[in-house]
Amino acid sequence: MTDRLWFLIPEFILLAGAVVCAIGGLSNLAAIRRKVGFVACAFLAASCIAVPFVYDPTRVAESPALLPHVGGYVKFFAALTGILLVMTSGGLMDRKYEHAIASGKDTFDTLRSSAGEYHALLLLSITGVMLICEASDLIWLFLALELVSLPTYVMVAMSRWSKVGQEAAMKYFFLGAISAALMLYGFALLYGATGTFNLNEMAVVFAKQRFDGGIVMFGQIGLILALVGLCYKIAAAPMHLYAPDVYQGAASAVTAFLAFVPKTAGMLAIIILLSLVGWEGGLPKSIEMMLWVVAVLTMLLGNIGALLQTSTKRMLGYSSIAHSGYMLIGIIAGPPLGLIAVMVYLVIYGATNTAAFSTLASLSRDGKPVDSLQDISGLVKSSPAAATSFALSCGSLLGIPPLFGFWGKLMLFAVGVSAGQLPLVLIAAVSSAISAWYYLRLIGLALLSPLTPRSETVRVTLRWPMIAAILGAIIAIGGPIVLESLITDAKTAFVEPE
Amino acid sequence: MTSITSISVISKLIATPAADVSQVAQLPGMHWASFIMWMPLISLALCGICSAFKVKTKAPAIITIICLATSFILTLLLWQGYQDPEIIHVFDWLKIDWEDGSFIANFAFYVDSLTLLWMLFVTGLGTLIAVYASEYMEHDVGKGYTRFFAGVSVFLFAMTCLVMGDNLLMLYLGWEGVGFASYWLIGYFYQRPSAVAAAKKAFIVNRIGDVGLALAIYLIWSTFGTVQYDEITSALGSGYKPTFDGWTVQAIPYLLMLAAFGKSAQLPLYVWLPDAMEGPTPVSALIHAATMVTAGVYLIIRTYPLFMLEGSHALEVVAWVGGLTAFFAATMAMAQYDIKRIMAYSTVSQLGYMFLGLGVITSYGAAYHVFTHAFFKAVLFLTCGAIMHGFAGQLDLRKLSGLRKMKGWKIVSYTMLIGCLCLAGFPFTSGYFSKDVILAEAFVTHGTGFVFLGWLAIFTAGLTAYYTFRVWFRVCAGPVHFEPGDELHGKEPANFHPHAPRIAINFVLVAIALGALLAALPYFIPNETEGIQGGWVAEMIDDSPAKKGVPGVDLDSSHGDILGMDPHKAMYYISAIVGFVGIGIAFFIHLLSRSTADKLRCKLLSNRTTRWLPTAMENKWYVDEIYIALIRSPLWILGKIFSLFDRYFIDGALVNGIAFIPSLVARWFSPLYNGAVQSYAISMIGGAILIALLMLFMPEIVEFLQTLSPPIGSDQSIAVVGGAQ
Repeated sequence: MTDRLWFLIPEFILLAGAVVCAIGGLSNLAAIRRKVGFVACAFLAASCIAVPFVYDPTRVAESPALLPHVGGYVKFFAALTGILLVMTSGGLMDRKYEHAIASGKDTFDTLRSSAGEYHALLLLSITGVMLICEASDLIWLFLALELVSLPTYVMVAMSRWSKVGQEAAMKYFFLGAISAALMLYGFALLYGATGTFNLNEMAVVFAKQRFDGGIVMFGQIGLILALVGLCYKIAAAPMHLYAPDVYQGAASAVTAFLAFVPKTAGMLAIIILLSLVGWEGGLPKSIEMMLWVVAVLTMLLGNIGALLQTSTKRMLGYSSIAHSGYMLIGIIAGPPLGLIAVMVYLVIYGATNTAAFSTLASLSRDGKPVDSLQDISGLVKSSPAAATSFALSCGSLLGIPPLFGFWGKLMLFAVGVSAGQLPLVLIAAVSSAISAWYYLRLIGLALLSPLTPRSETVRVTLRWPMIAAILGAIIAIGGPIVLESLITDAKTAFVEPE
Repeated sequence: MTSITSISVISKLIATPAADVSQVAQLPGMHWASFIMWMPLISLALCGICSAFKVKTKAPAIITIICLATSFILTLLLWQGYQDPEIIHVFDWLKIDWEDGSFIANFAFYVDSLTLLWMLFVTGLGTLIAVYASEYMEHDVGKGYTRFFAGVSVFLFAMTCLVMGDNLLMLYLGWEGVGFASYWLIGYFYQRPSAVAAAKKAFIVNRIGDVGLALAIYLIWSTFGTVQYDEITSALGSGYKPTFDGWTVQAIPYLLMLAAFGKSAQLPLYVWLPDAMEGPTPVSALIHAATMVTAGVYLIIRTYPLFMLEGSHALEVVAWVGGLTAFFAATMAMAQYDIKRIMAYSTVSQLGYMFLGLGVITSYGAAYHVFTHAFFKAVLFLTCGAIMHGFAGQLDLRKLSGLRKMKGWKIVSYTMLIGCLCLAGFPFTSGYFSKDVILAEAFVTHGTGFVFLGWLAIFTAGLTAYYTFRVWFRVCAGPVHFEPGDELHGKEPANFHPHAPRIAINFVLVAIALGALLAALPYFIPNETEGIQGGWVAEMIDDSPAKKGVPGVDLDSSHGDILGMDPHKAMYYISAIVGFVGIGIAFFIHLLSRSTADKLRCKLLSNRTTRWLPTAMENKWYVDEIYIALIRSPLWILGKIFSLFDRYFIDGALVNGIAFIPSLVARWFSPLYNGAVQSYAISMIGGAILIALLMLFMPEIVEFLQTLSPPIGSDQSIAVVGGAQ
């Protein structure tokens, strides 16, 4: 059991960070309250540093988790992207309230302060992602997934004190509950089909069933329902409908969070569930066909849906749906190359997508958040740095060749082709071409268009999100330099070290 | 044959690297020599910073001069320590492996004597011309000045990449880079429509050649499996698998030739070079006379083994194209009045000599001529530039006279004289020796019509002497007389005073003129290597493909003769006589009695049977007009049709149509996204149920599909859906 705990050290660090943030945010001293973001970053960094020590190859061999190696990669990059996400949230919570207190117009009231809670919830959600890596049975997996989701519902609600935000939170919560129910029902059926909750034992039972002529019907339905439930986490069809509304309703920083953390959790959980039946000899026909249909629908609905939007955040929301579809290609292709490609893509997508939302988070128009496409028109004139980083991150998301996103997409498509999924890759390429239309429109609006009456007053008002956006843009340009080592890292997650 | 079944970025992690280091010495990554290439890049970056800060001083020039001088000194050091060919590996650039082959192009330098010879004059002349330009461009200090030196830096960077690269891909990178820099600098005066048109012309004509280079690189890679020079050579030696009945191997030299003819302005692609004189004169001197245009010669020397394959006629084609270009360009130069254009045609003509040299298998002669030509043509262009600078843009040789008697123009006149002597092949000047090697070899080597080409080239040498001294006698000798050009900047022509060049220009002129004179010395400096004659240059290129044609190396082949004498010896006399005749005619009709030339022209024009000759020569044999009629007009009409097709069919019907369909679909689905939680929930659950049902009844569905289309088997219909198995 001590071995088990050893691998949870990064999680414990974040847990401690969450407690410190929650308490520190309630301090009477403004100086301490303001440092909450730095504290969160420090704990994330500590957790990040701890990962290489924790994942010592000799120890990993004894881990009871189903995918013992995956944690070393995922935890490291989850914590690293977490730092970027905390930076993106800089200045989001309590800014006006703290101003009022500082100028003496208001007094500090613990009930009205929320920065500490926000950062605590953020850390807890990332803790959930890390815990998924260590899943050894279905209960653990379910609880970890819920730990990812529950804080996000609250974060959406508290990020904007407006009806839009509340509405988004309610939608997100209710629909999330439905998906969790579906997933849980699927888990119950899986238990029924195998008689065990333990993932390792379950994998053995499934292997035996496949050897005997096929997985029993219960098992197949259970797996399908669980996967459909997980589609909610990755915002894939048919569970994607909430995404545009919620992404638009939440503050940009939280949207960036939603587009990365739950998606990573969902992808990991899907990989774990599929590892139960294994890719050797191909996924079961029904599962593979289901994933195929989901991938195609997700890519097409995401990219086509984005075409009609007039809201930047909604457009990026649809685009993040489409990215889940691309990643499903890697999932279908299977280990090791497909899963490596997915893991690498998650990191690339996480960094560049966060950069795009960070730009939006850093801007404001007369104190109001920026949303409509007209708001970013001619951004280069008021803020060249914001416009450039936005254009670079959009270019990377689209996959313009030298940028980081291109290599991610290339890898996914290449593994798709080598796994014999040419039709799927062709559909992905076509939908990717469709996506060029709106990404280039965003880039063109930011860099080439004239100022509009709406965008004249748009200014960069928040420093930290801007820094996060610039960092993301630097990753989009400079990322290809470290691509090879990134691939090597991802390889250790799925290929047994020799 | 290698086939790309799947190029996977990841697969390179699994495949083992296939780099096979051959016998050539490899040097470690951060070698100081790589700074030869990085210095121009640093200069470019600093110029960019200057531009960003809107520097209004000569700082960009100083930066560029220092950086280029550093490059030159590093080249000298590299040359000093040079022993044997070596590869300096800078970093891994492209490496793609798959089952039965690989594509490797490292960022590495292949340093052999040929590289060094080229680099010495590229960086050396580059530095000097940058010094010259620092004074020449001073009217434009500010934004244009920075832009100019940034362009020069880009050019030097690309040229080093082209010359020093150890594989064809790096050469290609540099090749495109110099093309781009040339476009940038020809179009320097971008407010002038003619400059923009010239820049476009240069770029587009070069594209034709570039296609050849790209195809050649592909064929070389598919035939030999590598694009690295040393590996190509060893593959040629050790046997390779001829593909497609061997025609690809035979096609490679012709494609390379196309590229070389484009860059080096040979028939039929020479038309861009005369127009390229729209750029500032230092650019003409550096890029369009001394360095870039010799890239074609370099390319062919580098890939010489590919031209020498069994049964190939490639070299004969090179010889013929070179010889004819030399002749035609010389005739065009005879009838021009713009001295810069005369020099441009003379460059085309001299490049023709170099290709003739390559064709008659004296790559040594070609390389030596490149070397000497770089100096004397640079000095000629730079003196033209100084004249243009001083006389408000005047370049017409009828409107300038007696420069050498004017105060402050002595250095220009006499350095120009040195350049003219070299170009005319006056005995014991550098041009004399380098040209003789080529001329003599035309009689030594056996090939279709080589003897004819030899005589044609000798005749052309006479023409060269004539038109060169036509310029000098008209402009520098005779009574003092001048009219200013049209760049008076608002001054009255009557008040015009030519301003003579100052220290920077004069210094550079003298330095390069000395270089042009001294370039004759390497022919005599005794060398230590055994078995070769031909002095320093011969020793210099002894271990490279340019060794061919060095006197004393290939003596075993049966020797041709000229009028019963040994060609190498006879040529000294013949070309000296021809040179004297040419200079003498020029002396007579352009200095002694200048009206003779006009009378001759009138006489030719008035006679019906001879009228065509001066007309055609003055109109450059109507080649531009022929190209317009034969190529540009049809292409223009085709382009117009395509443009209409594009506007109405592609844009109108296809693009808007296709864009319309997704938005239609999106509109069709948009009722689903009405924002109500209940409808979302129903859609989600409905979707989940649909998927579950679809999966459960999949066998039935497949069966149903089979009944719909009997020919498609069940395997296939499943394979379409999930082909992983």
